[in-house]
Amino acid sequence: MEKKVLLIDDEALVRNYVRRALASRGWAVTEMADGASALELLKTETFGLVICDLKMPDMRGEEVVRRVREMRPEVRIIVITGSVSNITSPIVPGAPVDAFLIKPFGIDEIRDLAEKVLKNEGPRG
Amino acid sequence: MTAKAHILIVDDEAQIAEMILASLEANGYTAAVAYNGSQGLERASKEKFDLAIMDIQMPEMDGITALGEIKKIDPEIEVIIATGHGTMGTAIQSMRKGAFDYLHKPFELKELLKVVERAVEKRKFNDIAKAIFSTPKPEDQLRVIIDAITRILKADESLLVLPDRDGKLRIAVSEGLDDEESKASRLEMCSRVMQQPASAARALQLFETPSLDKKFSDIKGLEKVKFSLFLPLVEDNKPVGLININRDADEAYFTEDDMQRARIFGSLVNLALRNSSLYRQLQETQGQLIQAEKMSALGQLAGGLAHEINNPLSGILGLTQLVLESTDKDSQNYTDLKEIEKAVFRCKKIIVSLLSFSRQEKTRSEPVSVNEVIEETLTLCARQMELKHVKITRQLAPGLPMVNADFQQLMQVFLNMFTNARDAMPDGGELAIETRLLKTPAGAELIMTSISDTGAGIGPDILDKIFDPFFTTKPVGKGTGLGLSVCMGIIHKHNGSIKAQSEPGKGSTFTVSLPV
Repeated sequence: MEKKVLLIDDEALVRNYVRRALASRGWAVTEMADGASALELLKTETFGLVICDLKMPDMRGEEVVRRVREMRPEVRIIVITGSVSNITSPIVPGAPVDAFLIKPFGIDEIRDLAEKVLKNEGPRG
Repeated sequence: MTAKAHILIVDDEAQIAEMILASLEANGYTAAVAYNGSQGLERASKEKFDLAIMDIQMPEMDGITALGEIKKIDPEIEVIIATGHGTMGTAIQSMRKGAFDYLHKPFELKELLKVVERAVEKRKFNDIAKAIFSTPKPEDQLRVIIDAITRILKADESLLVLPDRDGKLRIAVSEGLDDEESKASRLEMCSRVMQQPASAARALQLFETPSLDKKFSDIKGLEKVKFSLFLPLVEDNKPVGLININRDADEAYFTEDDMQRARIFGSLVNLALRNSSLYRQLQETQGQLIQAEKMSALGQLAGGLAHEINNPLSGILGLTQLVLESTDKDSQNYTDLKEIEKAVFRCKKIIVSLLSFSRQEKTRSEPVSVNEVIEETLTLCARQMELKHVKITRQLAPGLPMVNADFQQLMQVFLNMFTNARDAMPDGGELAIETRLLKTPAGAELIMTSISDTGAGIGPDILDKIFDPFFTTKPVGKGTGLGLSVCMGIIHKHNGSIKAQSEPGKGSTFTVSLPV
């Protein structure tokens, strides 16, 4: 799986540091500020990893994740969220994700998790 | 010497009126005479009378009309109707109009005196009842009750025994008991009387020389009691307390009249206690409702806040860390940036607490052993306690029934409370944990867990604030102040309660109760 990541978050501040954190570890990072544009992009480009925020203005994060799964069943998904309503359950109902990270998270946390998730060849849960 | 009562005599036959007057005065009453209805009413409007004795057959205004009118002037006055031409009809009519009793002429003065005595007694009871029910504070009410009982039943000692919040019997108020030993012995006597099977415990009981009765012979200090009367207090047909009246004199038997008075008193006291307990329950419920609303409003605020803050906080953390990567490790900038990073982690902890406070978490419910939760929690923090020189003593009752609860959440509660206790003893001390089963008078079963520390204690002025969200006595940065309010929320969800008791200098005890 190539180190190509699609980062979807409406908060510029978050996109900024996550992009830089991953870029300095050799990732090719593409940023999107809303779900619709991201899904549009996915029609033509492939990614090894999608990092997606659950709370976004135009579409609910869960919906984006579901559609991503539909379009690209093989892509890895990390969900980032400040909302802890599902704190014990990383599974977005109906659309399995590979991992979740709760904001605020540090740069090494996202770097390590991205690496780990990308390497994970096994079945997802 | 004050008169026993002040009585108005209304009779148009002067001879009879004078006779009644003389007889009443000879027996310690004061009285005045009126020779017809309107005269009588005039007197009654000018002077306060406890009783009126009125003849039915009078010129101008008959007794029944006068009765109605006098009750309008003074509703509390008791009226005895004397009827010479009485038929059942007039007797019934007078009772309906509110007469206390009627007498058939010619009557013996002895009969009259008896009726007068009963009427006076009824007035006394009315006055006492008024006093009891118009006393707002429960403590004052108890004092009024015990004073009245002591007077009416001519007691040398009297005590009112009620269970306290933990179900233990204690003397709520007493009269004539001067030292701890006599109080303790009377309390023990009462508790044995209350322990009898339900039917026996509900009846009025009389004992002569209780120290000789095998039920009480082992209690020290009862020797001087010659006669004991026990009056049960009942709520919902179940015994909830006891009034004990004792006399010390040799021939001071309790008569049938005494027993009757005691019974009347018993119903009065039952009513009064139920009244004040309802009042207290109402206040508590209102307090709980207000607290719940506070929590809910704060919860929503907290939840919203947390979400909003997470993004900018992420930004601060991430960017700070990125800058740190390209900052010389030996520079002041590096040190300062590290401080910023630490501060963000603190914020994160606060937010997590905030959110756990505001979260509508699904509570798992399964049979849980409270002792097991405590043991597991202790395993988690035992090491820390050791390091801080906190000695842990346990007294966990064996064989306690299970409660329906969320194991993890209960652990969270106990962990929080153990940590609080430890923090209250920075130089070490003792943490005592006790569990026991409590059966309430209403028949419910509760598991009571008490957690006590030997710390500095909590002052009375802040004791009622400690469960408020964000309230903390810890220095800035050391605590979020959310612990106890979250604990309270969890326990309430389990239909339990947490109470705190503390005295500055003596440490604190928190008691968690959970229904079985």
